[in-house]
Amino acid sequence: MSQIMKKITLWRAISAVIFAAGIWATYLRFFAGWRAATNLSDGQPWGIWVGVATLCGVGLSAGGFAIAGAVYLLGMERYHPISRAAVMIAFLGYLSVIAGYAWELGLPWNFWHPLVMWNRKSVLFEVVWCIILYTTVLALEFSPALLEKIPHQRIRELALEWHHRILIALVLVGVLLSSLHQSFLGGLFIIFKGKEYPLWYSSYQTTLFYLSAIPAGFAMVIIALYLSMRSLGVKIDTGILKDFSRVITPLLVIFALFRFVDLGRQGATHYLFLARPETFYFWLEIALLIVAPVVLFNLKKVRETPIGLYWASAVMVMGFITHRVNVSITALERATGTHYVPKWSEMAVTIMLVAAAVIAFRLAVLHLKIFPRVERVEPRTRWLAEPASAD
Amino acid sequence: MSKKSKGLLIDITKCIGCLQCSAACKTGHKQPGDPEPTLSATAFTAVEPRGDKFVRRMCLHCEDPSCASACPVGAIIKTAQGAVRYDGAKCIGCRYCMIACPFSVPKYEWNKLAPYVTKCDMCAERVLAGNQALCSEACPTGATLFGSREDLLMEAHKRIVENPGVYVPRIYGEKEVGGTSVLYISDVPFEKLGFIESPLNQPMPTLSAAALGEVPTVVTIGGSLLAGLYWITQRRREVAAAESAEREPKERS
Repeated sequence: MSQIMKKITLWRAISAVIFAAGIWATYLRFFAGWRAATNLSDGQPWGIWVGVATLCGVGLSAGGFAIAGAVYLLGMERYHPISRAAVMIAFLGYLSVIAGYAWELGLPWNFWHPLVMWNRKSVLFEVVWCIILYTTVLALEFSPALLEKIPHQRIRELALEWHHRILIALVLVGVLLSSLHQSFLGGLFIIFKGKEYPLWYSSYQTTLFYLSAIPAGFAMVIIALYLSMRSLGVKIDTGILKDFSRVITPLLVIFALFRFVDLGRQGATHYLFLARPETFYFWLEIALLIVAPVVLFNLKKVRETPIGLYWASAVMVMGFITHRVNVSITALERATGTHYVPKWSEMAVTIMLVAAAVIAFRLAVLHLKIFPRVERVEPRTRWLAEPASAD
Repeated sequence: MSKKSKGLLIDITKCIGCLQCSAACKTGHKQPGDPEPTLSATAFTAVEPRGDKFVRRMCLHCEDPSCASACPVGAIIKTAQGAVRYDGAKCIGCRYCMIACPFSVPKYEWNKLAPYVTKCDMCAERVLAGNQALCSEACPTGATLFGSREDLLMEAHKRIVENPGVYVPRIYGEKEVGGTSVLYISDVPFEKLGFIESPLNQPMPTLSAAALGEVPTVVTIGGSLLAGLYWITQRRREVAAAESAEREPKERS
C-alpha cells in the first residue's frame, strides 16, 4: 500500500512541475513576448509548436480514423472493444493541437478568421477547416461515452438512438476528412520548393505524410492501450496490440519504399551520404522511424509481450517526431541560414499540452465507459491487474 | 498585362549605395532609426554591399505571389496596381507567408506582444493617388525607376541591347517564379549577388494548386469506395444472418 502511495505522489509531483513550468512559460509568452518565450526568428518562424505540437499531434492521432474505419466500415468487429479508446485518443490529440494555437498564433484572438475569411488557394486554409470539422466529428463519435451518463432514461435512449443512426455517416466523413488533412499537413511544405533541403522536399509530401501518419497512429494506440492496461487496470485482449503491430510493418515498408523512390525521382540521392549535419538527421530519422521498428516488431521476444510492443512503438514515435521536425525545421535551416534550438519555454508549453491530454485520458478511462468490456475497476485491485509489469 | 500594373526597375550598374531610398522609405512609413543593412520588421528595403556593387533588397511583388496563396485568411493580395499588400486586420499570425516566400521577404514584429507581418507595399496608397514609390522618387542616379511593368521590361531589354557587353543578358524578375513586378538588371551574374536561382519558372502557387486539385477526387472516389466497402460488410452480415436463420428451424426439427 505504501508503495502505491509513493507511485501516486511521484506522478503528482511530476505533473505539478510540468504545469508550473508550463504556466511560467505561458506568462512569458503573453506578457514578456516572443523573444523571451521562444527562439523563433525571421529565418525560422515555425518552431516546435508547429513541428511537434501540430504536425506530430495530428499525425499521432491518425489511429482514431483508421480504427473507427476498420471497425464500422470494414466490419472488423474484433477491434470494437478498443474503438472508443482509439477515438478518444484522437479527440484528445486534436483538442491539444487546437489548444496549442493559443500559444502559436501571433494574434490568437483572431483564431476565428479562417471561418469567415476564406482563401481557397491556401493549403493551410484547407487544413484548418478539415481539423475543425474532423474535431467536431470526433466529438460526435465520442459523445456516447457522455450521453450514457444522462440520468433521464428517455432522453438518454433517444440521444443514443440518434447517435446510432448517424454513426456510419460520421465515421465515413471522418475517414475522408482525416485523409485530406493528414495529407495536406504535408502539402503545406510543397510551396517551399528551393528552401527545403532536398532530402525532405517532395512534391508528394502529401502522400508521404499520409503514409507515415497511419502506422504512427497505430503505434500511439499501442502505447496508450499498454499504459491503460498497466496503470489503469484496463483488461483487453493483448492479441489486439499484436495485430496492430503486424499492420505497422507493411505500412512502414510501403512508406520507406515510397520515400526512397521519391528521393530518386526528385534527384536527391547524391545528398544521402554528404558530410553534413542534415545527413545525420536524415539517417537518424530512417533508423528510428523505419529500421528499428521493422526489426523490433518482428522479433519474437518483442512481438509476444505487451511491454515489448510498447517500447518498439515508443521508438517508432520518436522516429516519427524526428521525421516531422526534420521536414519542418531541419530542412529549412540551410536555406535560411539559421540554427534553431527550441527554448525551454517552448518545450514546457508542448509538454504541458501532452500532460493535459494524458490526464484527461486517465480521468476518462476511470470515470467513463471507454473500454466497454471492463467494469469499473476498484482502486485496490488497480495495481494487480498486470502481473507482467512487476518492476 | 495592363499598363495599370506598376513595378520598379533596379539597375545595379547605377546604384552608388547612397541609401537615399532606404531613408525615404523609413521616413515615409514612419519607421524608426537609420537605414538598415538587411530587411527587418522596421526596414522594408535595405542596400546590401556585394563586392563593389550594391544590391537593393525589397519585396519583389510577384505576379502570382506564394505568400498570398499561402495565407489561410487572404490577408495578402496582389492588387491590380502591382503591389502585393498585407492587411493586418485579417492576419492571424500563423507566419506561413514568411516561409512560403521564396525570397524570405516578409518579416515579423517579434518584439511586440501583438506582432504583425511587415513588408514593402510598393507605396500602394501613393501609387493609387497617381504618384510614384518613395524609393524611386528619392533615387538620385535613376538606379530605381518606377513605371508600368510593361514599360520597364521594354526599357530593361533596350538597355541590355544598346549596351553590348555591359549587362548580363537576363532580367531578374521577368520569368523568375512566373514574373515579378520588381525587375533587376546587372553587369555581374545574379548568382554572385546573392539572388536565388528561381525554384520554378512558373508561379509557385501552381505547386500547391496541384495538390489542392486532388480534393474533389479524394472526396468522390474515396467516399464511394468507403461506402462500397461498408455496403459489402453489411451485405455479408445480412447473408450470414439469413443463413443462420435458415439453418435454425432445420436444426430444431
